[in-house]
Amino acid sequence: MLIEKDSCSGCGLCLWYCPGGAISLKDKKAEIDKELCLECYVCLKVTDCPKGAIKEDPMAYEFPRSVRTYFSDPMAYHKDTLVPGRGTEEVKTNDVTNRVKDGEVGVCIEMGRPCCGSSFTDVEKVTMALAGAGIKFEQENPLTYLMEDKEKGTIKEDVKKQRVVSAIVEFTISQSELKRIVSKIQEIEKELDTVFSLGMITTLEEDGSIPIKETLDELGLEYRPNAKINLGLGRRIS
Amino acid sequence: MTHSLYRRGSVESLQNDFVILITPAVNINHKNSKSKLIEILDFIKELGPVNIGSYDCGNIFTGATIEKIQQTLSETPRVRCVFDSYEKVKRLVKELKEREYGYSVTVSGLIDDVMMMSKELDIKPHSVNLSIGIHGRVEKLPEEGNLNLITMCGHGMVSASLVKMVVERVNKGVWDLDRAAKEIAKPCHCGIFNVERAKKLLQQNISR
Repeated sequence: MLIEKDSCSGCGLCLWYCPGGAISLKDKKAEIDKELCLECYVCLKVTDCPKGAIKEDPMAYEFPRSVRTYFSDPMAYHKDTLVPGRGTEEVKTNDVTNRVKDGEVGVCIEMGRPCCGSSFTDVEKVTMALAGAGIKFEQENPLTYLMEDKEKGTIKEDVKKQRVVSAIVEFTISQSELKRIVSKIQEIEKELDTVFSLGMITTLEEDGSIPIKETLDELGLEYRPNAKINLGLGRRIS
Repeated sequence: MTHSLYRRGSVESLQNDFVILITPAVNINHKNSKSKLIEILDFIKELGPVNIGSYDCGNIFTGATIEKIQQTLSETPRVRCVFDSYEKVKRLVKELKEREYGYSVTVSGLIDDVMMMSKELDIKPHSVNLSIGIHGRVEKLPEEGNLNLITMCGHGMVSASLVKMVVERVNKGVWDLDRAAKEIAKPCHCGIFNVERAKKLLQQNISR
């Protein structure tokens, strides 16, 4: 994003709305720190700038800065996956896609969420550790497209300098592997300079019970009382 | 993207907070789904959600209407909205089941409530996405009371500074709860920010 200094009245309204904390006032004019700006477009689309001083950065859709835009502005569509947002359809369509099957766990590590944002340097710490543990990343997740080497979990060099609102490390494992992979995640989290939200997807038992509950208990991990539940009303169109 | 999954707050504060997503699967059953979603949106309008939005035109607090959302549905359309009533969600899910659209439906809410609703409607839920909490440098997070408001926009569009400013204005009596909740809702493009829940959370902040 850009702010036209000549137009800016210095009212400071845009400062409140910026999720990246990238806008500050200098000499009574708003200024954007390009390193902190996540290209989420909130300042342009939501802040009602009285002077119309907030403008789109012409580089916002040019690689590698475009990575910020695609991973931060949910209104930007990924041209490869046709899926908006930062991830895949995950549990949303699992009744139709069977992405996570019986006996499996879909794991989503959403880097930077909530509030902190993430660099791809931090993302790479996680992807490399998991690749070392034999993880195969979800092919349709936009993050996987940014990997230099999917087997090693390395991220393209010019992408690593970019910061985003969040990026989701997504993969599926068998339920028997859950303990080993969780301990790998717990090991690497100490090296991060940001937060992440951890999500897990499983199919439900016939009686509606959650098959990984016991394993999570053994790991000392509690799940929240609220969840996202796929009701199973979807069907494939032949 | 798991944008409706990571809402924070007590069980009490999460009652009557249901996010509904209706998603035709890309390359499986998304073709020609637009007209069906328009029909579903007509029914949602009758029920009256607390908020609704789309990536193409924003949410109702930034000027979107259900008609606009219908007109601007993309080729891979989705419906996203939030209700503050168990009964309304139940009526919607019942309707979706009876009309046999075949599109995937997720309800984000308290697990016990969604499972009870499913049982009442003779539905067997297929899968669940569990939230296993926040990890890493958690000391960087804002205080929990503000986080409960911030996490109602799962895409991280609601900034901590906006919530802090709004809470301060409410505490000083400059803004009433309604004005404050609607202001925080604006950046949440897909309209899953529950303003009714936000008002209750802001009220609790004042009480504290």
